[in-house]
Amino acid sequence: MRRLALEVAVFVRSIWLQYVALFQWATINGYIAYKLLLPVTQILFFVELGVYATGRQNALYFALGNALQLTANAGIFGVIATVANERQYGTLPLLLASPANRLVTFLSRAIVNVIDGIATVVVGLVITVILFGLDLHRANLPLLGLCVVVISLTTAGLGLMFGSIGLVMRDAIILANVVYYLLLIVCGINFPVSRLPFVLQLVSYSLPLTRGVQAAREAAAGASIGQVSGLLAGELMIGLLWALGGYALFRILESWARRGGLQEAY
Amino acid sequence: MSLIRAGWRAFVITIRMRVISTWSYLSWLVFPMLFTIVGLYVLSSGGASSSRLVYGVLGGGLIGYWSVAYLDAGNSIQDERWSGTLEQIFATPTPIWVILFGKVCAGLVFGLVSFLPNAALAYFGFHAVLPALDPWKFVISLGVLTLSFFCIALTLAPLFALWRWAFSMLNGFELGVYILCGFMFPIAALASWAQGVAGVLAPTWAVRALYASTVMQGPHDFTLWWLAAIGLSVVYLAGAYFLYGLVEREARVSGELALA
Repeated sequence: MRRLALEVAVFVRSIWLQYVALFQWATINGYIAYKLLLPVTQILFFVELGVYATGRQNALYFALGNALQLTANAGIFGVIATVANERQYGTLPLLLASPANRLVTFLSRAIVNVIDGIATVVVGLVITVILFGLDLHRANLPLLGLCVVVISLTTAGLGLMFGSIGLVMRDAIILANVVYYLLLIVCGINFPVSRLPFVLQLVSYSLPLTRGVQAAREAAAGASIGQVSGLLAGELMIGLLWALGGYALFRILESWARRGGLQEAY
Repeated sequence: MSLIRAGWRAFVITIRMRVISTWSYLSWLVFPMLFTIVGLYVLSSGGASSSRLVYGVLGGGLIGYWSVAYLDAGNSIQDERWSGTLEQIFATPTPIWVILFGKVCAGLVFGLVSFLPNAALAYFGFHAVLPALDPWKFVISLGVLTLSFFCIALTLAPLFALWRWAFSMLNGFELGVYILCGFMFPIAALASWAQGVAGVLAPTWAVRALYASTVMQGPHDFTLWWLAAIGLSVVYLAGAYFLYGLVEREARVSGELALA
């Protein structure tokens, strides 16, 4: 019992420290730039592109897809950046030398990003709904909210996998950029997955977001939880698999980084 | 003569730095290609006309060109600040604008290259082409676009030196620039107030001319668009002159440049 309490204390402290020490946007200017301007202009860009190509009646399709993809901004960028920043600021060797439970430390990296991801989607969606006058009166809003939470968790799972690579890779943020924008192509954000070549469709369904976005679109059309439960369960399962894979990789690469002294390379 | 040599050295060093920088390949190669793919998938929805697909063929290249052009100026200032060399640059007898001139020109060279992989991807991946290309008008429009990017980059650079947050703001607004300058769809699709804002951006006019030089449909007021882009670029340069003076004073009088 005492051990569990200690682990919880490490978990909570780690979340707090991550929030106060590692987030580059925790200033008014940084927040406006990276948490308001960037997400909102990303949604607007793709909604305008979609409206130009397919007509105004499809604005909600693009708005919803791109708003939900923003969870990846927090879940993938945020998680990868925390590991990359530990390296950049020279604190990675200290983290790896600490006796703290690795799983607890590892998962705590994702929590603030999950919360941030939810906030980003809400802000992005509200602005888009106002700007484009989108009609959500038929939407099942509680279910849509649940989809947002689930997607935020699952994209953080993917972020944990790539964050692990940051233990041995100096330019992990580049990887984050590539993964983030690849999700725009393969997860059915701006066009149906069925338009992709077969191999990419397989990739698509092995990633978070794909099922979650599909479920959210159905929720926006008024579907009940029973109609999208399969999609949400699949989304959660995929996210869990990526997180577990990420943890396993973290342990392997941690050992590799220790042997090669890679954690200090910058 | 020594100014030309200093500008040339800044150009060569920036090119060398870009060749070995992984970030550089992200800006001019990977990132624009990902946008090209998304753009072409979306623009080809429902059997789009070839005039619409043009935005997918050139859009990625424009995104890469812009990203490199403004990033080179902005990042070079931030890099100097982080490396602790910004004050040394200001202390040298060579004016800062000469060094930035070399850096921006190097960025433009890399940015231009960005069009090639994207056009190839559009052709081989999506069978998308430029349906009615007028080579001369296309080349002139690209030249005018290059001038406008050059002037904007040179104007933005002192802002990045004066205020550290200026770079993060512009970075955050990067996709906003894609929208307002009509990189991947015409600005006629935007709300009228947004078209008004777009009208004071020089690249908007150059991009309009660039796209018009590849299709038969729509207005073809090239001279007007080129003059608008060039005129606005000159206005930016006038603003830059004032800003460089401000930066010099900030650096030499207050000594607070590295703290900005």
